[in-house]
Amino acid sequence: MAVTTKLTWNEEACLINQLGNVSLSLLYKSSVHGYSMSDMLQRYTCEGPTITIYFSNSIVGFLMLERNHKQTIWFTLRKKKDIIEMPTLLLNTVLKTTTEELSFLSYCGETIFSVNLKAQLIFLNHMLNAKIRLPVNSCSRANISECEVFRVEGIKDNRGYLKRITEVTQYRNKLLSDLRAYKPYADLVSEIRILLLGPTGSGKSSFFNSVKSVFRGRPTQQAIVGSDSTTSITEQYRIYSIKDGVHRQYLPFMLCDTMGLHDSEGGGLCVDDIPHILKGCVPDRYQFDPCKPITSKHPTYIKSPSLKDRVHCVAYVLDINSIDNLSSTMVAKLKQIHKEVITCGIAHVVLLTKVNNYDEVLQVNFLNVNKSTTSQKQVMNVSKILGIPIFNILIIGNHTSKWESDPEEDILVLSALRQMLRVTDDFLEDLPKEETSNLTPLRSAHQ
Amino acid sequence: MKGRIVFYDRTYYPFSKFDGKCVGCPTRLRSMAVTTRLTWLQKKILQNHFGDKKFSLLYKASVHGFSTQDLHNRCCNQGPIITVIYSENVVSGVYVEENYQGGTTDSIIIFVLRETEISECKANSYNLFVNYNDNAQYCINLQSGNVLIPPQIAKRLELPPGHQYSFQECEVFRCEDTVDERKIQGLIQLRDQLLLAMRVYKPSGNLVNQVKILLLGPIGAGKSSFFNSVKSVFQGYVSHQALVGDDTTGTSKNYRVYSMKDRINGASLPFVLCDSLGLGEDEEGLCVEDILSLIKGHVSDRYQFNSMKPITSSDVKYIKYPQLKDRIHCAVFVFDINSIEHLSYGMVAKIKRIRREMIKCGMLHVVLLTHVDSMKLITRGDLIDIYSCVPVKLKINAVHRNLGFSVSDILVVSNYSSEWELDAIKDILILSALRKMLWTADDFLEDFPLE
Repeated sequence: MAVTTKLTWNEEACLINQLGNVSLSLLYKSSVHGYSMSDMLQRYTCEGPTITIYFSNSIVGFLMLERNHKQTIWFTLRKKKDIIEMPTLLLNTVLKTTTEELSFLSYCGETIFSVNLKAQLIFLNHMLNAKIRLPVNSCSRANISECEVFRVEGIKDNRGYLKRITEVTQYRNKLLSDLRAYKPYADLVSEIRILLLGPTGSGKSSFFNSVKSVFRGRPTQQAIVGSDSTTSITEQYRIYSIKDGVHRQYLPFMLCDTMGLHDSEGGGLCVDDIPHILKGCVPDRYQFDPCKPITSKHPTYIKSPSLKDRVHCVAYVLDINSIDNLSSTMVAKLKQIHKEVITCGIAHVVLLTKVNNYDEVLQVNFLNVNKSTTSQKQVMNVSKILGIPIFNILIIGNHTSKWESDPEEDILVLSALRQMLRVTDDFLEDLPKEETSNLTPLRSAHQ
Repeated sequence: MKGRIVFYDRTYYPFSKFDGKCVGCPTRLRSMAVTTRLTWLQKKILQNHFGDKKFSLLYKASVHGFSTQDLHNRCCNQGPIITVIYSENVVSGVYVEENYQGGTTDSIIIFVLRETEISECKANSYNLFVNYNDNAQYCINLQSGNVLIPPQIAKRLELPPGHQYSFQECEVFRCEDTVDERKIQGLIQLRDQLLLAMRVYKPSGNLVNQVKILLLGPIGAGKSSFFNSVKSVFQGYVSHQALVGDDTTGTSKNYRVYSMKDRINGASLPFVLCDSLGLGEDEEGLCVEDILSLIKGHVSDRYQFNSMKPITSSDVKYIKYPQLKDRIHCAVFVFDINSIEHLSYGMVAKIKRIRREMIKCGMLHVVLLTHVDSMKLITRGDLIDIYSCVPVKLKINAVHRNLGFSVSDILVVSNYSSEWELDAIKDILILSALRKMLWTADDFLEDFPLE
C-alpha cells in the first residue's frame, strides 16, 4: 500500500514544468484515505497552494492558491503521440461545499464543476469541457477512479502567478511568430544587422546564444562564452545569421559580435575600428588587433559597402551589476563610440544583462518591462551616461545558468529584440533619399 | 478566457532547472509557509541514511497545530514516516518503518543528527504522540512541546540523562523510494526516445556523414570509460572495447577513432568518438601542437603520440589536406568530478591555453564531468535529477570559475565501470551528454566557412 501518485512520471514532469518548476507533495489519496469530502477538504486547510487531480477516462485537475481564493487554474493532461499536452484555463470561481459535494460556481451561480467523492462522480459543464478540450464536447458526468491532492511548493509569491502560468507560453509564441514574420521597413534590406558592443564579460555572446536558443528550440553555444573577464573570448568580428528551427529559414536579422571593450587603452576593441564596422567595411571573421585598426588597404576590406552591409542598429551591452563600477576610461570610450554612432545615423539601444529577478521585472501582462524596481538606479545611470532615453534601455536575464527554456526569460529576450527592430525601422524610415536610391537590387544572401 | 495547449516534450529537456538560489543555505522560514526547516544537507543525510528515500512534508506543528489530532489527521495511513524534532541545538526524531496508523507502533528508530553524523537506537512505543506524560516509553508531547526519552535510550544516543526536553518545531514526512516502478517506466521511455533521436541524427546540412567528437582530459579522467559507456548504451550490454587501466601512465597512447554500430540495423552510427593520449603535467602527455593538428584533421586513426615530438607533415600518418570530414567537430574536456579542486596550477594553465587555441580555430567545446555517482551523498536516485543536486552545482560552478567554461556547457555523467547490466538512469545521462555534443557539432558545422 504505497502512497504514491497515479500520474506517470512524464505526466508529473509535464505538470511540474508547466507550473514553473515547482515541487509537489502528495497529501491525500482517496483510495487510501477514504472517499470522504471532509477528509479531502481538510487538505486544503493551512497548506497554501494545492492541486487536486481526478482520474477518470481523462485526467482533470485544478490549482488553488488558497482555499477561498476566487481564481483557479483548470487543466487536463493527455497524451498525444509521445508528448503530454496540458491545456489550461484560468477561471474566476466561487467554491461551495456541502457534506457530499464540492462545487465551483461562476459568479452568476452556474455550476462549472462539481465532485461527489462518495459516489465517485465528477461533473464538468459545457464551457469547461470545451475550454480544456476534453474528448466529449458537452456537459459531462464521469466516474472517477481516484482523487489526489498535492501541496505545491516553490511558487514565487508574486502577483499574477496564475495569469502567468496560463498565458506566458502563449505570449512567448506570439512574439516568436511576429519576429519570424518581421520585414524591414519598406524592404530596404533583407536582414537587419544588429551590432553588439560592450565591455568584456558583459554578456554579448550570451545574448546571441539566448536569441539563437529561443528560435531553435534548444540550447546553443555557437558564440563561445567564458568567464575569463581579463581577456575577451571573442577576438574576431562575427556576423551571425540565425536559422529558424521550425521553418528552417534564415531570420530577417543578423547579430554582429565583436571583441569586448577594455578599460585600458591598448586592450580590447580599438575605438578607431568602430567607424569601419558601422559603415559595413569590416568583413565577417576579421581578426581584430587592439593596437592596430583596420585600414582600407587590408585585403578583405569592403571598400564600397551598400546599405545591406551596414550596421543598422547598435546595442550597447552592459552587465547591470557593473554599471556603478564603470571606470572613467570605459565611460569615455562608450561616449566616443556613441558619438560615432549618432554621426553615422544608426539606431541604438542599451541592453542590460544578468538581471537576476527578471520575473519581477516583467509586468503581469507581459506587455511592458517594469524598470521601476531594483534596476531603476542602473537604468537612470545608463540613460544619463550615454544620453539614451529610458524606453530604449532593455533588460534581459542571466542566460548561462539555464538548461531548460524559461518562457519568461524568453519573453525578455524576444521583447528586447523586437524593440531593436522597431528602433531600426524608425531610423530606416528617416534615411535621406540618396542613401536608399543607391541600393543594389535586393537579393537574399542565403537563397 | 482562451484555452491553450502546451506541448511538453520530455526528450528535449531531461535536465532540471539549475537555479541560482543560495547554495547550502537553509530554506528561509516564513510564517504559515509549509516548508521544512531542514537544510539541504540535513535532509540529504537523513534521506540517504534511511534507505535512499524521498521525504514529503505532511505535517508542520507551527502551521497545522501542536496537537496529536492534527498530526494524526495528516499523517496516518501515509506509509512509512519520519518525525523530525527541532530543539535549541539538536535535531532528533523517530523513523517509523511500517505504515503509521496511530496508536501502537511495533518498531521505531530514534535518532539524533549532529552535524553530519546520525546516532540511532531501535525501540518500541505504545503511543508515539501523546498529550500526557508516560514514564516508560519514548513519546512526543505536542501540546506541551516536550520529548520524553527513557534513560537507556538517552544514554545510547549520548543525550544528557534528563527525562525530557523541550522542542520548538515538529515536522513529519512521508518516506518514499526515490526510484519506484512508475519512475522507472518513464525513464525507460525517455531512454528509448533519446536512443532513437541519436540513431536518426543527421549532421547539420548533411555536410559530413559522421560527426567527430574528440575527448581530451587528464589521465584517469574517464575518457575511455565514456567511450565504453556510449558503446554499451547502443549495444544493449556493457562493453569494454577501449582499454581502461588504473596505472598512472595512462593506457591510451594511440589516437583512436571509434565508430559504433547501431544494434538494430548494423549501420554505423552518425558520430565517432576520438580518444587520445591524456593531458599530463608540463611536458608529459599530449602536447598542445598535437591537439591543434588533431582538431584540424591532420592525424590518422591509430597514430602513436609522442609527448616530446608533435606530429609533422612528413609523418606517414599525417593528412596533408584534410577535408571537413577529417576535422574534429566537437571537443570535449573530460574531468573526474572529484578531481576538480585538485588540478595543479600547471594543468589549469595548460587547459586554458588549449581552450584559447580552440577558440581561435572556431572549435566549439563542452566539458564532461565523470564519476558523479562516486561523489559523497550522491545516490542512484539523484542521477535522475542530477543538475539539481547541491554538491553537483558546486562542482559545476567550480569548473566555471576556475577554468572559465560556461555553466551551460558543463555536462555530468556516470560511466559504466564495473557493472554487467545497463541502467536506464545512467543511460539517460550518457545519451543526454552525447546529444549536447551533437548539438554543439551542429553549431560548429553551421558556422564553418565553406571555401
